[in-house]
Amino acid sequence: MATTLPSIACLGVIGRNNNPLHISIFNSYDPSTTSFRPIRTPLQFSLLLSSTLDVFELRSRAHAATGTGLTGDFGLLHAVDERLAAYGFETNTGVKFVVVVDMRGRRASTTSGVVGEAEGKRSNAAGGGTTAGVGLREGEMRVVFKAMQAAYIRLMQNPFYDPDEHSPVSGPGKKITSRRFGEDMRRIGEGWVPGVASL
Amino acid sequence: MAANKASRLGEETRIDKVNAELVVLTYGTIVSQLCKDFDSDYVEVNKQLDKMGYNIGLRLIEDYLAKSNTVRRCSNFKETAEMIAKVGFKIFLNITPTIANWTNDGKQFSLIFDENPFADFVELPDDGRAQDELWYSNILCGVLRGALEMVQMQVEAHFISDVLRGNDTTEMRITLIRYIDDELPPEDD
Repeated sequence: MATTLPSIACLGVIGRNNNPLHISIFNSYDPSTTSFRPIRTPLQFSLLLSSTLDVFELRSRAHAATGTGLTGDFGLLHAVDERLAAYGFETNTGVKFVVVVDMRGRRASTTSGVVGEAEGKRSNAAGGGTTAGVGLREGEMRVVFKAMQAAYIRLMQNPFYDPDEHSPVSGPGKKITSRRFGEDMRRIGEGWVPGVASL
Repeated sequence: MAANKASRLGEETRIDKVNAELVVLTYGTIVSQLCKDFDSDYVEVNKQLDKMGYNIGLRLIEDYLAKSNTVRRCSNFKETAEMIAKVGFKIFLNITPTIANWTNDGKQFSLIFDENPFADFVELPDDGRAQDELWYSNILCGVLRGALEMVQMQVEAHFISDVLRGNDTTEMRITLIRYIDDELPPEDD
């Protein structure tokens, strides 16, 4: 069991009108074929992201009633099965970031690049990291959301990005096409390991 | 010698500061609005930016002369280039572009912008033409043209590369066309 570690399987950005803005899907390690490929199809990920929207709404209502949750971090939204879990974050403007974590998405014996550097921290996290939902410590996702928010802010600062086109009141709107934003998402999704300090 | 003096002058000049994001976002809005107004006719957008810059330059030179405490004229175009890069840009944008690629006759040089505050965050529209046609910071060409015209120099300025387009550097080429003689008032016969 300790031969696998959590990794990010999918990053989703959802607009204020619950319209999809961006979806990045990442490879997971498949021990049966010792290869890397996405654990689900794009359609399944898309459905998974949609299903988190109800949780977002319920939570934000609960937050409004109790006056809590001002950090925007919604924590664990949805533990899909023993491997997949969805974590959420909502900005005050209603933009939602969803991180789908695959609890066994990364091979622990890989010693290259980012993976190797965080060796010490990883073995700690791996100890309890086998059951979905409880394997990650509270706030473990904060660094991911921070990085996603930073990338989103950078996108918004681009004068040629029109927020209205992307989240119109009616209709589905455009998706994010920025290459830089896509690269940022890729860097975040591939660079994250439990315990990493910054992305 | 002259170079040192220019950079000292640029450093010493104290000026009021304004939030960088405000400038960047304002300029960005202008450019993207122009692109919309002219239906993404980027050649026309470049022209408009240059024209706007020209009008800014005509006024800005006065401010520059007051703030930089210049006491005498530049004796040659090389000195002018130093003052533009190390005093002018330093005062108004807090950057110091590098001067390079002089022609032998000393009438043409390049300003290489290692940083360009206008272009922070910017990603050109991905329509296949903006990358080849739009000079995002073209307003700067106009500013130089306008400002120098007010001090009796007719110049031509244009960008030849831009990191936004994927080039390695952002480079503006400036050519001195002629010194304008002070025009005599029309004689009344």
